[in-house]
Amino acid sequence: MKVTRRDLLVWSAGAAAGLVVTPVPWKLLDDSSIWSQNWPWIPQPTRGPVEVKQSACTLCPNGCGMRLKMAAGWPVGVAGGSSHPISRGALCPLGFGAHQLNWHPERLRTVRRRATTSSWSEAKAAFAKACSEGPVVIIDGYPGRAASSVLESFNQKRNGSYRVVLGRETRALAPYEAWSGVPASALGYDLENAQTIVSFGAPLLDGWGPPGRFTRLWAERVAGAGPQLRLIQADGSLSRTATRAWRWVPVQAGCETALAAGVARVLLEERLVLARGPMPPLTLVDAASQTGLTTDAIRDLARTIVAHPPAVAIANDDNPAIAALNVVLGAAGASGGIVRRSKPATSYVGADAAIPSARAVLIDSSVPWDFARQTDAEVFRFAAWDGGSSKADWLLPAPGFLEELTDVPTAPTSAIETYAVAPSLVKAPAEVQSAAQFLSSIDPTLTTAEKIIHARCEDLFRGRIGTLIGRDRTSVAKLDSVQKFEEQLWKGAVWVGERSRPDGLRCELQVWPTAATSARPESWSATWPAPVLPPLASKLYKESSLREPPERRNA
Amino acid sequence: MSARYGMVIDLDRCTGCGSCMMACAAENNVPPLQQATVRTGLTPMLVRKVSNGLEGAARREAFIPIMCMHCEHDTPCVKVCPQQAVEVDKATGIVMQMPQRCLGCRYCMTACPYHARYFNWWDPSWPAGMEKSLNPGVAVRMRGVVEKCNLCHARLHEAKEKAAATGKREIDPADYVPACVEACPTGAIRFGNLADRNDPASQDARSPEAFRLLARIGTEPKVYYKSKEAWVRALAESKSGHGPETGSEVQHG
Repeated sequence: MKVTRRDLLVWSAGAAAGLVVTPVPWKLLDDSSIWSQNWPWIPQPTRGPVEVKQSACTLCPNGCGMRLKMAAGWPVGVAGGSSHPISRGALCPLGFGAHQLNWHPERLRTVRRRATTSSWSEAKAAFAKACSEGPVVIIDGYPGRAASSVLESFNQKRNGSYRVVLGRETRALAPYEAWSGVPASALGYDLENAQTIVSFGAPLLDGWGPPGRFTRLWAERVAGAGPQLRLIQADGSLSRTATRAWRWVPVQAGCETALAAGVARVLLEERLVLARGPMPPLTLVDAASQTGLTTDAIRDLARTIVAHPPAVAIANDDNPAIAALNVVLGAAGASGGIVRRSKPATSYVGADAAIPSARAVLIDSSVPWDFARQTDAEVFRFAAWDGGSSKADWLLPAPGFLEELTDVPTAPTSAIETYAVAPSLVKAPAEVQSAAQFLSSIDPTLTTAEKIIHARCEDLFRGRIGTLIGRDRTSVAKLDSVQKFEEQLWKGAVWVGERSRPDGLRCELQVWPTAATSARPESWSATWPAPVLPPLASKLYKESSLREPPERRNA
Repeated sequence: MSARYGMVIDLDRCTGCGSCMMACAAENNVPPLQQATVRTGLTPMLVRKVSNGLEGAARREAFIPIMCMHCEHDTPCVKVCPQQAVEVDKATGIVMQMPQRCLGCRYCMTACPYHARYFNWWDPSWPAGMEKSLNPGVAVRMRGVVEKCNLCHARLHEAKEKAAATGKREIDPADYVPACVEACPTGAIRFGNLADRNDPASQDARSPEAFRLLARIGTEPKVYYKSKEAWVRALAESKSGHGPETGSEVQHG
């Protein structure tokens, strides 16, 4: 058959028309598109039954309530536990990536001795030998836990020293301990009843205490719920807290001590406060020249502070001048100020204090990675992640996020006692051990953390006070047995004690304190003691410029 | 009756903490990109810092979370997509992105007036073993496609399944809350059905302090903002962009 030019044109036109109406090429295009987006190297999420579990965050001592979405036994999502009485459903930004941390590339999985691989048996032998040769210092970064009790018990048996790395919020309460005898760890801020809060550089809206506590309170008051809350931020720069504060007082960085003295002088000279206190030696003119403010501005600030009582001043660190201002304001031991929690607490010796000569120093994994003391002792450092250069002789792999059972004592700034339990929800690698487990293996007579948690639950149940807050609120007095009490705690409920009387704190202050440290600028991730950040944190400082890049090497 | 999901963000309550960005990335399996920069990162929710342009004590700053605005009218990305990979869901008002159809031409990125779309420059990857922590409700997207906020559509699916399991046709609003809304520690983001005049978000959107970004171009975005600060509201129609050095900081002066 002869193909004419006409046939060719007809066939071409027919093919073109057919292509439009037939689904085949479109289907092929679609299929090839889907096929090209399902390469075998593209990660696939874990499939399996999904369940939700309540727990508490164990990354820092704030112990925020967490809701974990679990798939096939692995945490695949984190959200705040809305029923938690302190954190109230909020988490810090890093908490939302906490479930990824156990697979962080810097996860420690082997025992290391000065950069060479070693073993647990060698580490135990070395530590046992050190214990037999001289005193041991144990440093804890998250005191009050059952695991902390194990560390303390081990030390007591050997007359060693137990030291604690205190957070800046607790350090800020140290002057009250010196003036009243009440341990700083038993004190808290009654922010919920304050109407004026003067922050001297404390990042109240950006990583101070449990993230949900003050931010939720502040946001509710901004929205008009409850009485007005005046947040006055004295800061050297326009910090996140300063941007949202009712008033920002721009002062020269490091002059918080002078500002506190200047304000106290005005309060006392003009008799603006009922409480009496020592007159600061600094004159108002000197305070003005140091802070960069005018004398009128300091006077105005003092009058503003007392205009809406109760008022409380909050320091970013250990600053006796700011604590003395609270004494002058009558905020120490008063509603809306510094209050003593109901339960007596232990007075801890800070790790900043001089460490006696020791044969060995054991550092718990809760201690911030950048904590370093000059010592000739042999250093045994527990950590779940390698944060970079370390002066430790031994680097010992510890359990990661929610890989071990732990209890969660009261958050440092809280005005009420709380107690929660964070069960082990993720299977820990076989090669990791916590410091408490390590010591228990050396001294089998030590009580395990699990038994201590059980004993604490029994104590709380026998006390018959407080409330269990989970999905429902249940008075402890109405519970039948300690088993039910424990069961609720294991499911994520939080025990909350009764609010203490604010007058349980009396500060005797005769002379205006002179020794003071200025507020130190802190990194936004400073409250998180672990050495690495979740990989997703790259969204905050690398894929956007929302935050400054962290200083840590393995961030 | 079809819904019109949207949100109202109270900028006076946003502290710029970044929780919404982290929660969004974790919920939607957005990979952490260590090799990325501010220009090449994947941030379906991006918090930008803005200022009034003044210095010293007169300086004021605020934070503006920017995500897909889910434009209702003449949706620019829908109009330019040659692949029909973007569409406005008639039942919800959500602007949906279908990565399977996307060929990566990036016309939509150019067309988007809010710069709320991001291109997947690299194969998605997580450190070894970390794929176990991925959200099973959301598929991982391939290199070469455009991504954006879809108002946590997987959560809407879950809410629908839950409603269907109990024999209901409508979802319980409490069951459908996007991750950023849930994560915000100050409750600055209010989410809801803007078509329902009784919905708190809808009421917020009608408040005199509410505004929308670039409302003058008439795309009817379903993301509203509100602020008592006049200089913040004035940013809505600002023609100034952000410079390459300042990254996400926008100045209004």
